[in-house]
Formats: sequence, structure tokens, C-alpha cells
Amino acid sequence: MAEAPAKGDGAPPGSSATAGGSGGIAFFLALLRARPAYALGYVIVATVVVLAVLAPWVAPYNPVQASPVDFLKPPGWPHVMGTDATGMDIFSRVIYAPRIDLAIALAGTLISAVVGSALGAAAGYYEAQRGIGTFAAGFVMRAADVLQAFPVFVFAIAVVAVLGQSLQSVVIAVAFVNTPIYLRLMRGQVLSIRRMRYVEAAYIAGVSDFGIIRRHVIPNAMAPVLAQLSVNIGWAILLTAALSFIGAGVEAPTPEWGSMIAMGFQSIITGHWWPSIFPGLALAVTVFGFALIGSSVEVLADPARRRALAGELEARRRARLATA
Amino acid sequence: MQLLAYLGRRLLFVAPQLVGILLVSFFLLKLIPGDPAVMMLGPFATDDGLARLRAELGLDRSLLEQFLIYLGNVLQGDLGTSWQTTLPVTTDLAQRFPATLELVTLALLLALAIGVPLGVAGARYKKGLLRTTADYYGLFAGALPDFWFGLVLIFLFYTTWALVPAPLGRLDFVILPPPEITGSLLIDSTLAGNWQALRNAAGHLVLPVLTLGLINAGPILKMTQSTMERMLESDFSRYAEMCGLPERVVARKALRNALPSVVTIVSVLYGFLIGGAVLVEIVFSWGGAGQYAVGGVLNADLNPVMGFVLYSAILSLVIYLIVDLIYFAIDPRTR
Amino acid sequence: MSDRQPQDPVIALEGLTVAFPRYGGEPVRVLKGIDLALAPGEVVGVVGESGSGKTMLARAIMRLVPRPGRIEAGRISFDGRDMGQLDGEALRRLRGRDIAMIIANPRSELDPLETVGQQIGNVLRHHLTLDKPAIRARSLELLRQVSIPDPERRINAYPHELSGGMAQRVVMAIALACQPRFIISDDATSGLDVTVQAQVLELMRKLVVERGTSLLFITRDIGITAHFCDRVAVLFAGEIVEIGPRHAFFADPKHPYAILLLAAYAQNERLRRYWLGDTTAGAAEGPATTGCPFARRCVRAQDRCRTEHPRLEEMAPGHFARCHFPVER
Repeated sequence: MAEAPAKGDGAPPGSSATAGGSGGIAFFLALLRARPAYALGYVIVATVVVLAVLAPWVAPYNPVQASPVDFLKPPGWPHVMGTDATGMDIFSRVIYAPRIDLAIALAGTLISAVVGSALGAAAGYYEAQRGIGTFAAGFVMRAADVLQAFPVFVFAIAVVAVLGQSLQSVVIAVAFVNTPIYLRLMRGQVLSIRRMRYVEAAYIAGVSDFGIIRRHVIPNAMAPVLAQLSVNIGWAILLTAALSFIGAGVEAPTPEWGSMIAMGFQSIITGHWWPSIFPGLALAVTVFGFALIGSSVEVLADPARRRALAGELEARRRARLATA
Repeated sequence: MQLLAYLGRRLLFVAPQLVGILLVSFFLLKLIPGDPAVMMLGPFATDDGLARLRAELGLDRSLLEQFLIYLGNVLQGDLGTSWQTTLPVTTDLAQRFPATLELVTLALLLALAIGVPLGVAGARYKKGLLRTTADYYGLFAGALPDFWFGLVLIFLFYTTWALVPAPLGRLDFVILPPPEITGSLLIDSTLAGNWQALRNAAGHLVLPVLTLGLINAGPILKMTQSTMERMLESDFSRYAEMCGLPERVVARKALRNALPSVVTIVSVLYGFLIGGAVLVEIVFSWGGAGQYAVGGVLNADLNPVMGFVLYSAILSLVIYLIVDLIYFAIDPRTR
Repeated sequence: MSDRQPQDPVIALEGLTVAFPRYGGEPVRVLKGIDLALAPGEVVGVVGESGSGKTMLARAIMRLVPRPGRIEAGRISFDGRDMGQLDGEALRRLRGRDIAMIIANPRSELDPLETVGQQIGNVLRHHLTLDKPAIRARSLELLRQVSIPDPERRINAYPHELSGGMAQRVVMAIALACQPRFIISDDATSGLDVTVQAQVLELMRKLVVERGTSLLFITRDIGITAHFCDRVAVLFAGEIVEIGPRHAFFADPKHPYAILLLAAYAQNERLRRYWLGDTTAGAAEGPATTGCPFARRCVRAQDRCRTEHPRLEEMAPGHFARCHFPVER
């Protein structure tokens, strides 16, 4: 077919990445073995998710049950992480929290990735063409400019304020703030892919716009979007917690890391550290886990780094065989 | 000459950009439910009183009219009044913006001092402790919620070890602030020769600067490391190696070529932190600009938010201009 | 060292093999057992298509193989010393001072942020102990030697302000800076206009001959080698498939691949027919074999070619070819 000249810069990058002999689950497992930190990331996230799902069975206490007699108990038994100023069990709340934080962050990030990539792909593809498409593409990009000119955090709070305080509002705020990132990323990808010879060849061969976008542009632009997505989730969790921290997100007493930290804020000066420190630690560790996963995906999504890694893994494998 | 023409062209685009930003923020903020008149007069206001106040505030006119009136006032240097502080927004911001700027500037200097050397080391060495630190610092710092990290530092340095003054504002209440010249307490107290205020202000700055600096060193490090790595693998570094130049000379060339990216990420962080430092400002009761704006959003106090958006937009523009000038100085190709 | 003869090679490669590891498979060998030695003042042309290992050869001699590739086997000796035994610092001192490199596309390989003077000065300062005025004087002299007009002005130019031909001359000036014993030119003139190319080549030939520097001239243009190379080597799939004195090579090429290269280059139909003989160009590519790597593109290939890897054999004095069925004339 006209779409794939045999070699040189004309070949679709997606195909050359797999031709390097570095695909599949075995490769992924070898990567985790060689970089235990990446494995740690997957373990952290899996643990958090499992605990959150099983929270009703794992949590020793009702996460929203105040117990006035047991307020500000230091960590010990039976309150492993102590109790907060209203006497709620911190450990139970900490493992319930990701049900809110993760759900919001995932939903918000996914929405922004889908909407942003779609708009970005269209903007990038039609930008180079004449007529109404160029105009529309320019409009979308200017809108993104204005959106990004806002101080991110103030904007997110404003979105929540406009929509009223609710879970959905926080999701929409997270999505709004992140959309321009995917828009720009996808547009850049599409603009560079469009100039590739195999796309030009397909165009000359008479493949339709939609066909080109679907067959050539999207598959090749997906890797960086996925990498960005995995990095972005952690950041979205932080944003969700931050919104709740200043009271523009989830309302107390719903178990949520950001609002828990806010509730413990006052007592930390008096030396009662546990109501704030534990939820913050859980938050930081979870985000760190996502960041590790994100960087492993970044490596896998970048053909050059992937090839370099494949070489290193092979060298390790041989060294192991040689010593055995 | 070329530079002047460039600056002229830049400034030509600034005005419509600012109006665009103001327009969008105005309509967005107007969407926020809540009636300032009700908030100002409280629950026991009469309908009559409310109507009078609304007319006074111009709230009975159409949105477009309101915006044009606002725009006209802005052109005359009047950003309106905050009903929460009952002061003109310009007065409020004159006090709060420098507070944020001082904090953010120092934090980014600290972040640069950590991020750039570590990033360079991470790119130069293929293994070793420095490399490992560089590889994971960014991930780790990026995972820390700044508001929580600030609390941890307060717990350690104030509650436990009492090394710093109470995390309540920029200066102890008992200390007489220096006369305001630049708005930066460090500079003003030095100018006034008020060493007590200088020491106290520095003490108050330590924890918030550490909080923001340590966390924001992450992106600077990551950018330095990745750009530096790319430069070290680039054609000119390979050629320098083939010419037998010492490794440190090759690294220096690579760093110079990587600097534009570092400057860019710093400018992005600067723009981001003006509003993004708000959580840390809240934790340390800093009384900064971000805190002022968030207070405005949460209380349907429109003018402070608009003023803040305008100020940060102008500041971003100034920063981008400075960035362009730095590029100009670094890279002969832009001349 | 004292018993070295004047005709002892400046640089000698013995069985040089460079490999890149591949996950879950045999490493990819981009150079396989290269044997090559250059006498002082000798100019050897290396010709090959893209992917034949030309650039890797240049980098391997410099001992700068890009990761994760490595020199798997073989020995490179410079002036009789095994370069593999040298530490990083000694290697660095060799590069640019004793072994210099002339590269292709110099405008992207020169540091965009430094002037011509700074880049020449860098090499002078780090290899020779010269003070500032001496560096400047020497830089100007070098620019004059490579026929750059108005060197006083060009010394302050940045790479992006130079034309391709000028940048190529600057790179030659840098290569000549420390009066090296051995220069590698890697496809150096490929990006230039034909007229500029001719000028640069003539200049290179003159400078090398005058100083008695050995030159390894790597190119994809077999025509160029006819002008000034003492010997010509043909590289295919990481192997030397033919090497011989210039006259012998052009008069009586042995390897079918070398003949294809020559025929593709020939403008003259008679010359073309002479070279091709009973060989016709353009055999369809067959499946890969364990034998001769060229077998699947070779019209003369027999069963033996597909199973048995041919050795480099001497066909005439100093003229070697790696072929079971060399072309007879």
C-alpha cells in the first residue's frame, strides 16, 4: 500500500517500536525487575485501590462516626492512627478517602484527556487546511490560551463556586483545568505526524480525512497522551485534595484526605500532629505511586528510551545467564 | 533596533489579550451564585435597602454594561472596592502582591539552587547516588502536597524545635514594620536599617520558602536533567567529544544550550505560583495575593478577584518579556 | 617504539566488531571483523550505502560508540599502541589532537552558541598550551589555510551565519588545528552543492598531501574516491567486501556489489557495460541467508553463497574481495 515506505523517516514510528523486539508482557516484567521503583509504584496504587474497595470490611470504625469522648487520642490501640478533634478514627477515614479522591481525579483526568485530545487532534489536523477549519482551529487554540492565562488554582475554585459545591463540580473543575494540556499535546503531535511522509502518501493515495486521523494520526499520537495521562492523575489527586483543603471541594465529614488535613490544621500547632500527618502521608504516597507508574509509562511510550532500555535489559539478562 | 521593534510588536498584542482575560473572568465570576448586596447587608436587610445598594453597585444594569463600566474604571486606575476589607482593591493588592512576590521569588531561587546542579549531575552521571537522587527527587517532590508539607515543617521547626517564629504572617505583631518602599520586607527593612525587622522577617520566610522551594525544585530539576541529557546526546556535544574536549567543557556547552528551557520552566512556575502559592499562604497566614483572590471567590467579592487576575496577567506578560530578553542574550540565532 | 619503521601503519584495525544488544535476541552486529590499516600519508576511501556501518566505523575508531552499543571484539591500534588499553583521559587527548574528524552537516554539529573563533580556540586551548593571542593568531592562520575569505570577520561569526561550504571549511580548520597524524572524514561533503563540494575536496586533498596526514575518507559517493584515494574499500552490511589499490579496483572490480555501485555511478554507457559484464543490475531481494549477506540481492548467487559465508581473499596483489564467485574479466 501507499501508506508505508519501507525504511527511513517515512516509516510509522508505531511499527518500528515493536519491530525492535521489545514488546509484550515479558518485556514489561523484565522492566519491573530491573527497576524495582516502578514495581513499587504499581504495588502502592494496587494497595490503595484494594484497601479503598474493601474499606467497609477492613476499616475498624465507621469513618464518619464522631465519638466525643475519644477526641485527639494519639496513635495506639485500638486507634492505630489516633483520632481527630471530633473523635473520628483516622485510620478508617484514611482508607475510605481514596474512594472520593481517586474517583474524582480519575474521572476528571479521563474527561479532560478525551475532550482535550479530540479537540487537539481536530485543531491540529484542520489548522493546516484552508477555510472554516483553520478559523475554528484558531478559535479553539485562543480559547485554550485564555484558559491557561488564568491562575490554575483560582480558576478551579471559581469553577466549583459557579457550579455549586458538589462532587461533580470538583470533577468538572479538574477536567477544565487539565483539558488545555491534552489539547496542546495532541495538536503538537498531530502537526508533526501530519508532516510525515506516510501520512502525505496516504493523503495522495486518496484516503479520507477521517481515515487518516483514525488509521495514522491517532495510533501514533496515543503514546504521549497515555504517558501524560498517567503522570497527570497524581497531579489531579493533589488538586482534588487541595480544593477540599480550602473548603471548595468535598465537605466534612466525608472522609477525604484534603479536608482531613484541613481539620487537623489547628491542632498541629498544639502538638497534635496525627490528624493531619497521616492523611497527608497517605496522599503523598499514593501520588508518588502514580508518579512512578507514570514514569514507567513514559519510558514505554518513547521508542528511543524503550530501545535503550531493551538493550540494557538484554545485557542484564546475559550477565545473569553468564553467572548462573 | 530589532529588539525595540520586537518589544513594540509585543506590547501591541498585550492590550487585547488583557481585555480578553478580563472579559472572560468577568463573565465567569458573574456566574458565581451569591448576591454581594445580600452578603454586605446581612440577613436582616430590607428589600428596599438591597435595591438601593444594587443600584449603587451598578448590579441592576446588564452584564455587558457592567463590564464596560468596569473596564472604563480600570483604564482610570480604579479597580473597585472589596466589600470584605472595605478598601480599594489597588490598596489591598499593593500590600498583598509584594508579599506573594517576595515569597515566590525567594522560593524559586532556592528551587533553582537545588534543581539546576542536581539536574546537571543527574544528566552527566549514568549511575551513582547523585543520579539516583536526581531521578527520584522530582517524582517525590511532585507527590508532596505543598499545604501538607508546610504543616510538617511547622510541626518540626516550630512546634517541636521552636527554631522559627510562629507561622502567623510575615512579621511578629510586636515588631514595627519598616516604612514601605518596595513591599519586600527584606529589602525595606535593610533600607531602613531595621535589623530586628530584617531578622524577624527572614525567620518568618524560612518555612514557606522551604516548602515552596523544595517542592518546586522538582520540575526545574526534571527539565534541567532531560534537556541536559538531550543536549549531551546532540550533534554538537558528540562533535565536541570527537574533538577531544574535556567532559566538563562538553557539559558546560550543553548546559548553556539547555538554559533556555530552564528559563522557560522557571517563568512558567513563576506565573503558576503567583496564584498557586495560595495554599501555602493560607497555612502560614501570609496575607498574600492568592489568599486575597480565593477569599474573593468564596465570598462573591468580585473586585479583588478581577484585580488579582489583572495583576497576575500583567505580571506574566512582564515575565514572558524578560524571558524573551534572556533568550536574546543567550542565543545568537534570535538576534 | 624506537624499532618502528616509517611505513608502519598509523592506524590499524584488527577484527573490529561493534554490536548493539537487542532484547530477547542475538545482538545486532553493525561492524563485523573489520581489518584495515593505513600507512602514513595514505588516503583510503570507504564506500557504502546508508546502513552499511560507515558512520559506526568512524565512531568506533574514535572509541565513541553510542550506547547501548559496544566494541565487542577486535583491536584498534594507533601508532602501534592498543587504544583499548588507554584510559578515558588518554583517549580524550588523542581525539582532536592526533586523530581528527571532519563531519557532515557541520552547521548542526557546531555549537550554535559559540563563534567560529571560540570553537577553534577551544580545541587549541585544550590540546596545546597556547596563550590567548597565540590562539587567535593560530585560528586566523587556520581559517586562511582552509581558504575562508575575510577570516578577521568570520572568526566572530556564529554557525548559523555560515553557508554550508563555509561551515565545512571551519570544521576542516578545527580538524587541522593540532596537526593530527590521522583524519577521518565522515561523509563530509555530502550536503554541499556540487561546485562547492569540488572545492572542498580539492582543499582536503591538498592539505592532506602537503602534510603527509593519513586520511580515512568515508563516503557514499564512489565517484569521489576515484579522484584522490590510494586505496578503495567497499563496506556492505558491516563487512569489507572488497578492498584494493585504486587503479586495480576501478579497472577490475571483483565483488558483484562493488560492480553495482560502480555501474550506478557510471554516466558513460560503455564504462557501465564494461563494469557490469554478465552481471545485470537489480536482482529482486530474496530471503535472508546464513551465507553471504549480499546473496539475496546478487544475481550471481549460487547455493553455496546462501549457506557458506565467504572469506576475504586476495585476488591480485593487495586486492581483496569477499566472494565465492568473483567477477572475472
